[in-house]
Amino acid sequence: MKGISKHIPHYMVLFGILAAGILAFLLFSYDKGFQMIVATAVALSYVAWGIVHHSIHRDLYLSVVIEYLAVASLGLVIVFSLILRS
Amino acid sequence: MKFIHRVAHLIFPRESNNQKAKLLHNSSLTLIVFAFIFYQLGITFLSRFGPNVLGFAANISPDEVVRLTNEKRTQAGLLPLSLNSTLSQAAQAKGADMLNKGYWAHVAPDGTQPWVFFTNFGYKYRYAGENLARDFANPQSAVEAWMNSPSHKENLLSPKYKEIGIGVVEGNLAGVDTTIIVEFFGTKYADTLPVAPIAEAKAVVATPIATPMATSVPTTTRIMVPTANLSIGEPRILVSPFNVTKSVSLGIVGILLFVLVLDGFFVSRRRIARIGGRTFAHLAFLGMILAIALILKAGQII
Repeated sequence: MKGISKHIPHYMVLFGILAAGILAFLLFSYDKGFQMIVATAVALSYVAWGIVHHSIHRDLYLSVVIEYLAVASLGLVIVFSLILRS
Repeated sequence: MKFIHRVAHLIFPRESNNQKAKLLHNSSLTLIVFAFIFYQLGITFLSRFGPNVLGFAANISPDEVVRLTNEKRTQAGLLPLSLNSTLSQAAQAKGADMLNKGYWAHVAPDGTQPWVFFTNFGYKYRYAGENLARDFANPQSAVEAWMNSPSHKENLLSPKYKEIGIGVVEGNLAGVDTTIIVEFFGTKYADTLPVAPIAEAKAVVATPIATPMATSVPTTTRIMVPTANLSIGEPRILVSPFNVTKSVSLGIVGILLFVLVLDGFFVSRRRIARIGGRTFAHLAFLGMILAIALILKAGQII
């Protein structure tokens, strides 16, 4: 928790990005193309957030970037599959 | 014992996994991504070449679609639409045409416009519009989806229309058993003023399908009544590709969230210093994916 409270401004930005993503999905439930664009934008923003965050805290390594990319890819693959199957 | 050690290796940070749950290693996450892609390819392959078990079982009553549409119109202060059997036949023919030619669009691949079905059945329209829906489990969710889309809502709540026709067809579209709802809106040419200005008529073109004015009496070529209409409401055993994808997605995300919480708890408690992404950030992102997976529902409208 100590680590989280130290990074609150950073997490506020992240939560803002994620909340905007969920809101866009709700508001544009009829537009699957737009939903896919939103999912891609949120996933890219998440990776960018990770890079900037770790860069500021001077603990940015290749394995960290790959970790964010892997989590973002998993999320993107799941959301794309669900959109295309719905 | 060996099994317990393996599970612990997967979900707890310990020496054997370099103080990070194995499931959260980059190699494991990448493996899960590729496994999920292959799983999706498997579903696609099954739908094209496998036994006919994939599809969307639905119970759509045309009368219920009309009732719900009129309910929305009444709530909006509009007059309800009257069901026109000719329009329903035309809508049924449009649905059958989509199944026969294997397309999901307002305009057929051969360029056939939706209003061709109106005129083929002898419905001489002044205004005409079309809403399409597929893969919805019930009429309520289809009508709600139309209402959530501005262009479909505009059609549904247009004061220009006086009549409605509903066609519900079931059949195989791109390897998946599906139920298509075709909602035709119309106002007969004879029901409108004979000298209405053309400019005005153009201004009220229905969306999402442009509906040209019938300036001359259309030639009527009767087309065959669709054969793709199966009995509606019959119980069928089908595996919905969306539902199996959703179940597996929720399972994967749920397990990863659980492991992240466990891993984060033990790392924090043992004060383990390690290089890696922020657990809390991953939890937030996967939490969003979980929310989206729960929000998304089967059913498409155009």
